[in-house]
Amino acid sequence: MVMNHRYQESEIHQMLQTLSQAVVMRDCKTVQELTERMVDERVDLFVILNQGLNPGMLWACEQFRKGTFHVPELLMSSRALKIGMNILRPLIRDRERNVVGRVVIGTVKFDLHDIGKNLVNIVLEGNGFEVIDLGVDVSPEKFVRTVEKHEAQILAMSSLLTSTMGWMKSTIELLREAGMKRVVRTVIGGAPVTSIFAHNIGADAYCAEATSAAETVKRLLGIEA
Amino acid sequence: MASNNASFNRDAPSKLLVLACAVMERELLPFQNGRVDFRFLDYGLHLTPGNLTKVLQREIDQVPEGVYDGIVLGYGLCSNGVVGLQAINHPLVIPRVHDCISLFLGSSDRYQEEATQHPGTYYLTPGWIEKGETPLSKYHSYARSYNEEIAGWVLHEEMKHYTRILLIDTGISPMSPYREIARRNAEFLKISFQELRGESDLFQRLVTGSWGKDFLFLDKGKCVKQEMFLDP
Repeated sequence: MVMNHRYQESEIHQMLQTLSQAVVMRDCKTVQELTERMVDERVDLFVILNQGLNPGMLWACEQFRKGTFHVPELLMSSRALKIGMNILRPLIRDRERNVVGRVVIGTVKFDLHDIGKNLVNIVLEGNGFEVIDLGVDVSPEKFVRTVEKHEAQILAMSSLLTSTMGWMKSTIELLREAGMKRVVRTVIGGAPVTSIFAHNIGADAYCAEATSAAETVKRLLGIEA
Repeated sequence: MASNNASFNRDAPSKLLVLACAVMERELLPFQNGRVDFRFLDYGLHLTPGNLTKVLQREIDQVPEGVYDGIVLGYGLCSNGVVGLQAINHPLVIPRVHDCISLFLGSSDRYQEEATQHPGTYYLTPGWIEKGETPLSKYHSYARSYNEEIAGWVLHEEMKHYTRILLIDTGISPMSPYREIARRNAEFLKISFQELRGESDLFQRLVTGSWGKDFLFLDKGKCVKQEMFLDP
């Protein structure tokens, strides 16, 4: 797990915990220093990711749901996470040789909310995925056209309004009409979205948490998480 | 599915309890007809997911049996805030709208029209300004918790795709103080400002009981589901 001789296992464990806390506490400087130090010490990249950075973000998201964190705290934790992810991303890419998978992502038509979607981007890119982000207010046609053009394996859609969720259904229908529904896996998320809704509109997966996006997508692609 | 045959006389209910969000207090109260009791709940319940549902359910559970013929909610689907609610002892009536903007504008169609023509709209009403929040009030609150630089960054992240502030004139007099605040918000964000006259039809029907197809009727014990609000 840890290819390292200078530090004891317990010290690495301590560093990972401090890294998690730094994400929670929005401490960008500590996130950068610790991530770099652990990379230098050849701690496994996915250990840094999955036992350091991700648990911190997961905890911040839980606090947001409970109401102890609000939008500022969530955004600042995301920013700290991104700093760590930016260090790991190129290294993971190098190690995996190829990208893990190609994802087209966006917020659906007439919806401009992107805080959660941007967090999903950070998580997916950090895990070695190539992410093509179409931004917000994305039409079904644009989603399908982009998936086709880039031969993406995954189409990920976000909606933050119950009034725009229907566009996920329209997009999946268009994907089906284009004969791509079987080859392209669809995953949806966003505060008002539920697993029942995902099932009803024929999405392949529902992602409840931005932090579990990589795991969800890997499962869809049959990659071991 | 919601029933259209609720167990009370929909056309002439004798006594109703309206449980509504405080942002629509000024718009609802003028329709008081002596057969309605109002209970207004804090706007702040929207801020934590799940809180709204919890508090609304508690309020519903506390309504004494035998006093009211039904409970009317002054809420829409509100980001699933009403999903899962259940009134064991009373029929429940809920406007079939995504959120309160449809109520302020008078119809879901009008809201839909605004939202599709101008997706980047931040809606304000007198009640939102007084009891809810505005981008500027958020900025000041963030600046108090952190500092102006962080507050500016967070607000920018939240609001970067918005292109206009739309103030809905709901007939409150005078409108000028609200207009001034709405304008200041638009200037602060460097986006456009517009004002639109609202409609009181849905508020009136909500209170007086002439509900029709714009409202959902749930028999005693029926549970609110998301799909009841969504188009097929």
